Amino acid sequence: MSEEILKVEDLRTYFYSYTKEAFIRSVDSVSFSIRKGEVLGIVGESGCGKSVAAQSILGLITDGPGIISGNIFLTRNDKTVNLLDGLSDYASIRTKRKAILEISKDISGWLKRSESLMKGIRGKVISMIFQNPKSALNPFITVGDQISESIMLHKGIQAKKEAMAIASKWLERVQIDSPSMRLYDYPHGLSGGMCQRVMIAMALSSEPSLLIADEPTTGLDVTIQTKIVELLKKLREELALTILLITHDMNVIMQLADRIAVMYGGRIVEYGLKKEIMDSNSFIRHPYTIALLNSIPTIGEIKAKERLRAIKGDVPDTITLYRGCRFYERCTLKNDRIKKRCKEAEPEMIEIGTGHYMRCWLAE
Amino acid sequence: MKFILWKPILKLVLREFFIAVFLLLGVSIVIFSILHLAPGDPLHIFINIQTQNPEDVALLKRELGLDRAIPIQYLSWLNKLLHGNFGNSFRTGKPVFGELIKVGVNTLMLTIGSMIVTLLIAIPIAVISSLRRHPVLSWGLTLFAYILSALPVFYLGYIVIYIFTKKFNLFPFLPSGAVSSSKFNLIYFFLPIMVLGVGNGSISEIVRHLKMQLERVLSEDYIKAAKAKGASIWRHSFKEGILIPVTTMVAAKIPFILGGAVVVEQVFNWPGMGRLAWQAALDRDYPVIMGITLFAAVFVHVGRLTQTLVFAFVNPQTGEKGEGD
Amino acid sequence: MRARYIQRAAEVSEFSQIPIWKRANKKDIIQIGFGLLVVLFVLSSYITSVLHLLTYDPLEINLKEIMQPPDYKHILGTDFMGRDILSRIIVGSQAYFMPGILAIFIAISFGTIAGLVSAYNSGRTDAVFSYILDLIDSIPKMVIILLAIAFFKPGIFFIMLIVGITNIPTVASLIKSKVIFLKKRNFIEAAKALGLKTTDIIFKHILWYNCKSIVIIQATLGMAEVILIETSLSYLGFGVQEPAPSWGNMVASGGDYFFRGDFYLSTAPAAAILISILGFYLLGDGLNNLLEWRRKR
Repeated sequence: MSEEILKVEDLRTYFYSYTKEAFIRSVDSVSFSIRKGEVLGIVGESGCGKSVAAQSILGLITDGPGIISGNIFLTRNDKTVNLLDGLSDYASIRTKRKAILEISKDISGWLKRSESLMKGIRGKVISMIFQNPKSALNPFITVGDQISESIMLHKGIQAKKEAMAIASKWLERVQIDSPSMRLYDYPHGLSGGMCQRVMIAMALSSEPSLLIADEPTTGLDVTIQTKIVELLKKLREELALTILLITHDMNVIMQLADRIAVMYGGRIVEYGLKKEIMDSNSFIRHPYTIALLNSIPTIGEIKAKERLRAIKGDVPDTITLYRGCRFYERCTLKNDRIKKRCKEAEPEMIEIGTGHYMRCWLAE
Repeated sequence: MKFILWKPILKLVLREFFIAVFLLLGVSIVIFSILHLAPGDPLHIFINIQTQNPEDVALLKRELGLDRAIPIQYLSWLNKLLHGNFGNSFRTGKPVFGELIKVGVNTLMLTIGSMIVTLLIAIPIAVISSLRRHPVLSWGLTLFAYILSALPVFYLGYIVIYIFTKKFNLFPFLPSGAVSSSKFNLIYFFLPIMVLGVGNGSISEIVRHLKMQLERVLSEDYIKAAKAKGASIWRHSFKEGILIPVTTMVAAKIPFILGGAVVVEQVFNWPGMGRLAWQAALDRDYPVIMGITLFAAVFVHVGRLTQTLVFAFVNPQTGEKGEGD
Repeated sequence: MRARYIQRAAEVSEFSQIPIWKRANKKDIIQIGFGLLVVLFVLSSYITSVLHLLTYDPLEINLKEIMQPPDYKHILGTDFMGRDILSRIIVGSQAYFMPGILAIFIAISFGTIAGLVSAYNSGRTDAVFSYILDLIDSIPKMVIILLAIAFFKPGIFFIMLIVGITNIPTVASLIKSKVIFLKKRNFIEAAKALGLKTTDIIFKHILWYNCKSIVIIQATLGMAEVILIETSLSYLGFGVQEPAPSWGNMVASGGDYFFRGDFYLSTAPAAAILISILGFYLLGDGLNNLLEWRRKR
């Protein structure tokens, strides 16, 4: 088994909401790890905290009241650094009898520390691509300038001309026609799919050890989505990429991921290899995962014009402190035997197979 | 090597230019009408109309071209203007253009200089407080900007003059006494600019606008993406977050600062357009008034044209404004 | 503890249910409070002059007590004619307030109408409106005001009428860009599709929900500008004339004494100007923060 590049332990990202006078616990004690060359997919409905988790890794949570705690270990050349090292000095959560009382935060100190930790990592070791690529590219700078900026920053190339030549090669690699012409285009002249290709080229041009793809297909047409997924698949094989893939789209997960983490209400509820989770023979699965899988229409169903099976109920708000399981309200598998338990206490992560964990009382 | 699309930019600038000319024409018509509809007669600076015999009055009127119908007078003024002639002042008989240039340059220097001072104060305050890193500091700075804006410029002038004349004995200066132009030294030149720059009252608005725009831009997705790639967020937010709002504000505030210049000219005895305008208005010196109004309006439009140019160069989507709401 | 916490989270689920005083933070309250104090000062000045509550008549010349420095009898001292400076400052605030409200009313009402009309009707109407507004905007305010003063020797209300007219383009362009922004977002079509009445859309959904802050900011900035213009004109000797008190002419008449070391004659009215303008700035800022609160966080 190859080495772990990124190991996230007990990651918590909280925001203080002034409107609600309470903490939004977007990411609540999340742990996972990514091995070299593998694709870890984090899947969940919108609002479950998966994007916030990804942005926490790169320290992109800058909103004043946002606070991150836990450990994020990044291993590179046999050296391990903690990306959240020392941040707790600047921001801390004081708790009393489990109810959060206060978050104290020295914003400027926190940001300074965060910036110094991230130096040489953002864009160079960990790159990121975003959802809605059209708004993620700077509309005032040409595509070529944006890609070559990344190359010049991280590849130690000084000459603009050389950087532009490399940028052109990367555009070719992400299958953009006539790349040398496109270099001088502004993003508004490109389609959404092209913008995402440019984003991918920009992210990969620094040859990072880890690529975070935050909803890479969201905001694109369905046909373009397929093409982007195929492109990522191809690039992954060519370049032996390690990808942290964040999406709400089960199809994307099925096609790309090796390992899956299912997130619900700020927590990971199931974690394991894709083949174990998706294995139709395995009958122990988290009720939420089952619901997610059921929501994908099969071709037979589409032909029979059946209704899509949505998951009933709403995403839980991450403000309320639930005593029991967060999925309790929407769970269809709760039976009289465990119902009381589900309501009273939240299950821990239970190992049900090799490397396959689940947060459900059914597993016991 | 960058491809700048010259053609649309040129087209845009030409369009703006024609609109400006058209507007200036309108301005001149409006002012001309006001001049001739207003009570008062320019002849009174030469003669006492009641006692003079009518023939002399008629002669004088013909000399000044005031005997013709008002539209004809306007057209002849416009005709002269198109030939580069602003006419002669009724009072001094000298060409208006020369006098205008003499005082206009002073006012221009005062206005532009103080605009720069204002920006030098406002931009850092806006940038620091838009970062939201130091809430207390940014509130303090914003409050400071508001206080500067609220300070009446003439009183600020008093303080500065008092300090420099009484405490440092730097130059013999009394606000009511005339200062000859030989004393036009550096401090004399510098102080009014500083005073108007600090006290013109537009700092608060500039800070507010800049801060709002910069905060908006800094929360854009592309800034987050730039940060994720390890690039400087300032490089990426400069065009939309600083350059465009600053030009917008400069172009919008030129008339306002011109107004402030009139007051500061008074406080510092600065020989500028404000005093010339006032004298000309009292004398009903039509050519001078027309010249001054047009000069000021041209200045305002040069500011706007610059804004259009900056927008066109900065924003690849030429013609569309770079600012959302 | 925890029970209360859960309860509170459930209670405050909807923004609109939070009362306005709970939404305000300390900063907003200080700002608005300061601004309201300034408004209160002006209003109280009207009351005192109507009810003759002032100890000293602001116009009363008392040559026995000229140039008195501040003491218990005259809190801010007396001027070169022995007039009580405090009384003059209190009455002087009336020089700008009512005329200023006229100017703001003109600027905002006409500006809003012009902005709405030209945003709603693209094409010829828009072109005509834009031309007229641009025309007004091309002539520097101070030049027009000086011309008007020289020709007509007008009162302060007439001058403020001009200030109001010259402020129309600013309001109009702000309202116009806002409405166009809403139009681009298909906001208006959506409202129409919901079957709302046009008057409802314009007054409630466009003006009240979306242009409120523009109006507030422009009104308070306008008031600050009016104070600036009125005091500047009075300072130059064009506005309110001696012996009637205005903060501008008080600073001007105290000017000569300022250079002899008697600062208080012009400092007191200058401080009044500063505090009032600051008050209106902060009032606008605070109100804007409060009303646009949801958008900010």
